[in-house]
Amino acid sequence: MKETPLSNCEKRFLLRAIEERKRLDGRQCYDYRNIRISFGTDYGCCIVELGKTRVLGQVSCELVSPKPNRATEGILFFNLELSPMASPAFEPGRQSDLLVKLNRLLERCLRNSKCIDTESLCVVAGEKVWQIRVDLHLLNHNGNIIDAASIAAIVALCHFRRPDVSVQGEEVTLYTPEERDPVPLSIHHMPICVSFAFFQQGTYLLVDPSEQEERVMDGLLVIAMNKHCEICTIQSSGGIMLLKDQVLLCSKVTGVKVAEITELIQKALANDQKVRKEGGKFGFAESIPNQRITAFKIEQATIDTDDVQEQAEEIIAKASPPSEVLANPVLWAPGTAQIGEGVENSWGDFEESEKEEEEEEVAQDKSTTDDQTMEMGDTSVGNQDKKDETIVLSDSEEEDVIILEPEGAQKNRTETSYKQDIASKKPVSKKK
Amino acid sequence: METEQKRFDSGDLPALRRILCEQGLLSRPDGSASWIQGDTSVLVGIYGPTEVKVSKEIYDKATFEVLLKPKIGLPGVYERSREQMIKKTCEAVVLGTLHPRSSITIVIQVVTDAGSLLSSCLNATCMGLVDAGLPMNSLFCGVTCALDADGNITLDPAMKQEKEARAVLTFAIDSAEKKILMSNTKGSCSVEELQQCIAASQRAADTIFQFYRDSAHRKYSKW
Amino acid sequence: MAAAAPRLAEERVGQVVLPGDVLLLPSQPEEDGERLRLAPSGPQKGRLVCGPGLRRGGEGLLVTKCGLLRYRGPAGQAGGGTGSGSGGTYWVDSQQKRYVPVKGDHVIGIVTVKAGDIFKLDVGGSEQASLSYLAFEGATKRNRPNVQVGDLIYGQFIVANKDMEPEMVCIDSSGRANGMGIIGQDGFLFKVSLGLIRKLLAPACEIIQDLGQLYPFELVLGMNGRIWVKAKTIQQTLIVANILEACEHMTAEQRKHAVARLSES
Repeated sequence: MKETPLSNCEKRFLLRAIEERKRLDGRQCYDYRNIRISFGTDYGCCIVELGKTRVLGQVSCELVSPKPNRATEGILFFNLELSPMASPAFEPGRQSDLLVKLNRLLERCLRNSKCIDTESLCVVAGEKVWQIRVDLHLLNHNGNIIDAASIAAIVALCHFRRPDVSVQGEEVTLYTPEERDPVPLSIHHMPICVSFAFFQQGTYLLVDPSEQEERVMDGLLVIAMNKHCEICTIQSSGGIMLLKDQVLLCSKVTGVKVAEITELIQKALANDQKVRKEGGKFGFAESIPNQRITAFKIEQATIDTDDVQEQAEEIIAKASPPSEVLANPVLWAPGTAQIGEGVENSWGDFEESEKEEEEEEVAQDKSTTDDQTMEMGDTSVGNQDKKDETIVLSDSEEEDVIILEPEGAQKNRTETSYKQDIASKKPVSKKK
Repeated sequence: METEQKRFDSGDLPALRRILCEQGLLSRPDGSASWIQGDTSVLVGIYGPTEVKVSKEIYDKATFEVLLKPKIGLPGVYERSREQMIKKTCEAVVLGTLHPRSSITIVIQVVTDAGSLLSSCLNATCMGLVDAGLPMNSLFCGVTCALDADGNITLDPAMKQEKEARAVLTFAIDSAEKKILMSNTKGSCSVEELQQCIAASQRAADTIFQFYRDSAHRKYSKW
Repeated sequence: MAAAAPRLAEERVGQVVLPGDVLLLPSQPEEDGERLRLAPSGPQKGRLVCGPGLRRGGEGLLVTKCGLLRYRGPAGQAGGGTGSGSGGTYWVDSQQKRYVPVKGDHVIGIVTVKAGDIFKLDVGGSEQASLSYLAFEGATKRNRPNVQVGDLIYGQFIVANKDMEPEMVCIDSSGRANGMGIIGQDGFLFKVSLGLIRKLLAPACEIIQDLGQLYPFELVLGMNGRIWVKAKTIQQTLIVANILEACEHMTAEQRKHAVARLSES
């Protein structure tokens, strides 16, 4: 899918508005959009909304063996995904330049700044360490992905609790949450990215650019900083020449913004913790404002299933008994046999390339396929190739092909006949 | 977080967990819905009808693409099989012939999996399709039933109940005739039990369809 | 019961309908309709039009979209649903974002490609629309319109169906521009839901009237959800755009209040 093109008129208007220090949503140059943080029921799960940009973060952990050169350090892994949900321009499973750039920036901001104490993630030196995985999914793209993603990542990391472990000699014991309270990660500081968009070769600058502003900007400067005003990473892209003063100004603004955002994050975390402690309701369900007319809720609804049993019996009584189909395996060649006709492949389209490959295979093996049954593939292709023969290539998931071993033949036969029985029962029972 | 304990102890009629749905919450997709059923939460975004890749173009109907994104890691075989189930269900209901040579992309993001995930995905998809305004000949919903060792039916099981169950059955049911559009079963159950589960699911479907109707009323109340 | 029992279409006008609902039409003897159609006086009379969101189903009309059911009487009078015995138009008014081209609709397109004799326009549908360079007022082979990629064009669909590439023109049947053509370089373009556009285009729309009292501005509304607006200054343009965008979620009173507050300042 293609993104809606940006018209000349929008471009001109946006640039002229920026020259007049006006933004579409009425913000000032240095204003952030509203930030909303909500937590899921699981630990380490959060959704961060930056205006209309939305990022889902989830932290998970796993015990793995450490990297040989870092025997006493845990592993941190970041994965930001640009879901096609977020924008029609994002394709599934493609490593676009933007994605690589964002992932790299996140790693620099969070891993290289050593905000997580990786040594505390070591369980047995050289043997077992925790691998902390941060999955970030962009749900809606309305500009400034990196700021939203960095906030989501650090919030999820702060919110996360890993299972407690104890080491006694050689033995490592992992405790379930019921046995021992899970433990939080030790976090030294919270780096947060702040983006600055530059227009007209750096004459104008805006904080937290929206998607439209990003489309007309000349360059972008991202500064990651923690609340102690320590710069964790800086990246300038777009090839604009920035003056020393501009960078200094930006870092000053970043300091202020980071302090505000950190406070917000801490408030949100404290709030969630309080609710959990008090046994109140928490999770995403509680964060949807109830007065919104697009949202609707019902409490637990009981379903009257009193006469379900009778109804079921009635249906079964009415249904004609399944016809006794005896499996009739056709022996094609020693080692292969077939039952039934097979059904349409329900695994959907394979990638074009796969199809082609298979076609080629069919062509190649044309002489040999006669006594082979293909595991999967395009029936039509197979059938067209061998019109003169009656072979029907089975390709259903419930592979009906059985291999008749000389000794076990008898046994297999009974098994398959039973299978057939069930298969024939199914459609009958579905009828009402 | 809901208290699971209550449901185990109460021992009365089977119930659906609390349902919450918000439509149109994302600005970019043509239709979106967040569906929360108990603690299970999924988010769906739908684009369509839009431009289709030439390789995927179908001359007389719309091309459906369903993407199910797990919260952790990359999609695997489990996701692919669920995608196909949801895709087939949508194809049965959406009038794709009205938009030939176009694509309808459905992206489902798992937010929290606390049981009955497939049925939540189906419900979210239906709400998303309604929000996107795609033409459909009926609505559909998903209901999951769990059968315990004694053959008792639990509707809309939570994660723990699903794990303890002997069989877990999920059905997609259409709103016009309450017929089964899709079924997915795990574990073993007798024909009687299957029929009982279908009947129970059809009862539960009524509640869900009423929920759809009420939320549509609310959404259009200011229109 | 959730699956609403089939009800008379008349009774449900103004109510929310959902896909799968069946609307019964007042039973009308078949031969009666036949006779009416044969009558020379008015072949249109008694014809029922099944508008967007509805399909002909077995016993009546099948709803395919979620929204409010609307009805307009046969003679064009806004019918309250009474005496609609044998004609008129039923349709579903739904909130939707994605545009599907419809013949006769006026839309705003963005030029994406200039290919020989035709321009390709993005109109927000599933396929780009084509526009001939001759389909402008006064355009000849020598006198081509000055159109650049990225320009905005206000035009009308003359071909739009599910099986063909949509085609637009910027002239009416008599060759006049009639307001259509290239939209100026100034002003601002933004997107709203299709429902809001229909609301704004409704005759005697209060929103436009209220806004008109603030200050003069130019406005182009495309059925594809695009609005182009231009006022004297950037600030004023932005205000109009923001109010129109906000109308999506405002009741009439809230809007009046907001406009009143603006006109004070």
